[in-house]
Amino acid sequence: MKIFFEKLLFAILVIISTAILLLGLRGLPGNPTADDLNSLQWTRTGPFESSNDRGRFALTYSLLEDHSLQFSRDIATFATPDLAITKDEKYVSLFAPGTSFLIIPGYLFGKILGASQVGAFAIVSIFALMNTLLIYAIAKRLGAYPFAAALGALTFLFATPAFTYAVSLSQHHFSVFVLLLNLYLLIRWKNWWSLSLIWFLCALSIVIDNPNVFFLFPIGIYALGHIVQLKKKEGDLQFSIRPVYILTLSAIIIPLAFFAWFNQVSNGSSLQLSGTLKRVLSVSQNQTETSTDVEKLSVNIPTGENIESIESNKEKTSVGFFQTRNLWNGFYVHFISADRGIVWFTPIVLMGIFGLVFLFRSHESITAVIIASMGANVLLYSMWGDPWGGWAFGSRYLIPTYALLCVGLAISLTHWRKNIIFLTIFIALFIYSVRINALGALGTSTIPPQVEVLALEKITGQIQKYNFERSRDYLYEQGSKSFVYQTIARKSMTAPQYYALVSSLIIATGVILLLALWFVSSKKKV
Amino acid sequence: MTKKSIEKMGVRFSISQKNLGLVQNFFERYATMIVAFVLTGISIFAFVHYYQNGLGLAYNDARSHLDIGRRVVEGLNPGAAQLGSVWLPLTHALMGVTIWNDFMWHSGLAGAMWSMLAFIGTGILIYLFLKELGVGLLGRLIGVALFVANINILYLQSTAMTELMLLGTMTAGCYYFLLWYKRESVIYLVQSAFWIMLSTLVRYDGWFLLFLATTLTLIHIWRAKGYKTAEGLVILFCTLAGFGIVLWLLWNALIFKDPLYFAFGPYSAYSQQLQLEGASVLPTKWHWLPSAKVYFYAMAYNVGAFTMILGFLGALTLWIDKKISSNVRVASMLLVAPLLFNIIALYLGHSVLYIQGLSGDTWFNVRYGIMMMPSFAIFIGYLIHRFAPLRFVIIGLLVFVGFFSFASSDAVTIDDARVGSSQKNVTEISSWLREYAGPEKGFILISVASHDSIIFSSGLPMKRFIHEGAGVYYDTAIINPDRWARWIVVRSHSDDDSTWRLLKNNPGFTERYEKVDSYPFADIYELKPEYLPSLIVEPILKQKWGL
Repeated sequence: MKIFFEKLLFAILVIISTAILLLGLRGLPGNPTADDLNSLQWTRTGPFESSNDRGRFALTYSLLEDHSLQFSRDIATFATPDLAITKDEKYVSLFAPGTSFLIIPGYLFGKILGASQVGAFAIVSIFALMNTLLIYAIAKRLGAYPFAAALGALTFLFATPAFTYAVSLSQHHFSVFVLLLNLYLLIRWKNWWSLSLIWFLCALSIVIDNPNVFFLFPIGIYALGHIVQLKKKEGDLQFSIRPVYILTLSAIIIPLAFFAWFNQVSNGSSLQLSGTLKRVLSVSQNQTETSTDVEKLSVNIPTGENIESIESNKEKTSVGFFQTRNLWNGFYVHFISADRGIVWFTPIVLMGIFGLVFLFRSHESITAVIIASMGANVLLYSMWGDPWGGWAFGSRYLIPTYALLCVGLAISLTHWRKNIIFLTIFIALFIYSVRINALGALGTSTIPPQVEVLALEKITGQIQKYNFERSRDYLYEQGSKSFVYQTIARKSMTAPQYYALVSSLIIATGVILLLALWFVSSKKKV
Repeated sequence: MTKKSIEKMGVRFSISQKNLGLVQNFFERYATMIVAFVLTGISIFAFVHYYQNGLGLAYNDARSHLDIGRRVVEGLNPGAAQLGSVWLPLTHALMGVTIWNDFMWHSGLAGAMWSMLAFIGTGILIYLFLKELGVGLLGRLIGVALFVANINILYLQSTAMTELMLLGTMTAGCYYFLLWYKRESVIYLVQSAFWIMLSTLVRYDGWFLLFLATTLTLIHIWRAKGYKTAEGLVILFCTLAGFGIVLWLLWNALIFKDPLYFAFGPYSAYSQQLQLEGASVLPTKWHWLPSAKVYFYAMAYNVGAFTMILGFLGALTLWIDKKISSNVRVASMLLVAPLLFNIIALYLGHSVLYIQGLSGDTWFNVRYGIMMMPSFAIFIGYLIHRFAPLRFVIIGLLVFVGFFSFASSDAVTIDDARVGSSQKNVTEISSWLREYAGPEKGFILISVASHDSIIFSSGLPMKRFIHEGAGVYYDTAIINPDRWARWIVVRSHSDDDSTWRLLKNNPGFTERYEKVDSYPFADIYELKPEYLPSLIVEPILKQKWGL
């Protein structure tokens, strides 16, 4: 009965999450050509509003339609300003290639159905869904009640900026997937194949997004503990090394070989990372304007994306992007600032901290890995020269941390399942966070950082908003970017009504799960 | 063989409890020596690194400190009187040991040597402090490592600045103060007083430490043994700890006829800050919040934001930890003296600190934020000790941040020295002096208060310069410049330059010299050839008060 009950809950979680993701998924019908992609319909007012989306899609498109890792002029124009140029003056992607390759099946399937972009974006949504299920599974395995685990998972997907990046094209959910799957493998198994898969995923994470290597480091260290074990037994210190397990390290060869091949073909050298190439800010018929040219001219920069490019191009080594001096400002931006801060965009995840404290008492070592991964994620992107993540919604770089905090949230809910005050605060913050994050998913996710707003106001002569209010305004004035809304729902309702419908559906699911948790707890049955 | 047996196959070995104990005992016994040895190596390596890349003398102040030390042993009026009026004298006095040597002077090693010794000493003191707090070997070593692996500390220990000497003497004062609180043996109070006295002769931060230590001594003894004993011990403590301050007041009274000349004289920080206030660029004065904000930023940039946050967490853990005695907790409060002092100094307008982005587009005195580094190292060592299950996470994250700190060579103190208001590129003017005045005979009249770095960078002997400290030479040269100075280096039309101020209406200067070159910080005037025959080029005067 209990197993059936849990399977039913799992199925409900999958169905509801899938349904909401479908309602939020951004896109337009059709298989756009390179020419179409540069139109406003597909860029600023369409699904490719952010250069983050464009840069990654450009590589997929170029690979499948032009059969080249190097971009044609049209695709290069589409990818700017996240475009790089090689020494032999070929336009290439500025991003690691993982995401662009992973969305290939979606693109091809979507193309058959006449919506290649939607198909490509749907792959991200599928990974987001898998992340939700992984949070559910990890939390349960670490002692959370099923309803609490489901609430934690739902919170991650719909009450954090993860929602926005689950319905658009970015690397975040792929990175989170690698992180969570690794964590799950560590908790669940201790054998050679799980270890092989962990190494494989760790290497794959670099192909998805180069900095992943840093916040997967704690997992790597913990996994190394399966190879070299150190135990204190009756006062003696015992070392044991398993040579068979050392062989599992060979699993990194495949992703790294792929990465080296990509770098060789695309960038001209197997060790040349895309991000360390010279950045191109704009492409015209006669001239290519690089970041260096712009720096020389000191021109006024009209968009935040360009400002980002200049700052991040001052250092062109793989670790040069991260400076400890940025930490103080980075902490502020990620946690407190009105334009990106967790306290404004997704305060609910902070309740997960309590859960990690409880978890530490029962699962010391795995909690240490979770805290270390979170710490590395927060520190890394606080050192990043652009902690705002360009024009983005919320603190998008901390999505892996939100996922881990939501595991903690499930534990908090389990621990305080009868505490009315905690549950009340939880539901209040859940409703708030869902309402905020649905704005980003259904409206626009390109929010300028506060530091750019004054310059922007000078250029546009209008008051510019720098937080979720901008998404709300977009929703009210220009509509939703959702594929379902654009193709079906807009005939019968306005974008704000659509937003109300989607957010209410999420909130209703959350409330039902919470009531179920409370009810089951009060009956002392799970 | 089954799959499971293959998986379990492995190499195993163990270290017995006995051997582990021996290793542990070895480290416990020789850790101080090992720390000293390793720190010596790091210290030398860092000095050589910054010497070779030329950054060791990037701070204008470092060059001035070296010149002050040099003037004590060489110049037209050598002697202890040259120790100065505003900057406290201990570092300059110690430089006397080696500054007579040209290499030691111009390499900066004469001053850096003391910073390096203080660096090693502070590292050892952090280790010992943590040991007294009952922290295990790992926590102690991490505390030391945190201090040592701070890139700003490594830079400052390689320069002739006073920061490391201050940190060393203050940490020693705090350490012996802790011992006294723990063991109540007066000898530790005396030792603490001695080190605090030395710190009061390095920088004015030490004066606040003395005040705080006296207050804590008074409270502690009064509560434990009553007023009479408290009175006696406070007098004992203050007699030694305050001796340096009394000497300094006496010195100022003797040399400058005003015991508070250092505080309110024309070259004092106070006077400088008044000018800044007049120009409306002293926003921290009489404002607590901006003062605290600026100092917290300075700390975050110097010690690292993550280290600072962990440091405060460690302090909190230490102060609320009931496992250690309240005496120890109270004594450890002395470690926050630099934080309180700097905020109060900014609030009172006795100090100025500019953070790029917060106070315009420049850095100035941002290095003051380094003062809490030994304290944070101690607090974090304690935090690691108390949160043992998470210690590897904390250590790992510290290493993670440390890696990027070195990978990006992120030393705010170097920026402060190179691009901030503390820097002064005098290469061109000093090269001119070296090239044209160097081979010729004749003195150069210059104000050290304004142009000490030019003197240093010129590479010429101190005795070639007539400056404010040159006694009768300066007085005479101001009246008859054409008899004494072949060259005059002044910032034309700036009354802040005392030589210009005193000469600008003197016909001996205005009519008999011609401007031969002009630079961003000063101009060079040369005596016209027709007046050269009556120029005195040898030091023939007898000093009135050369000590």
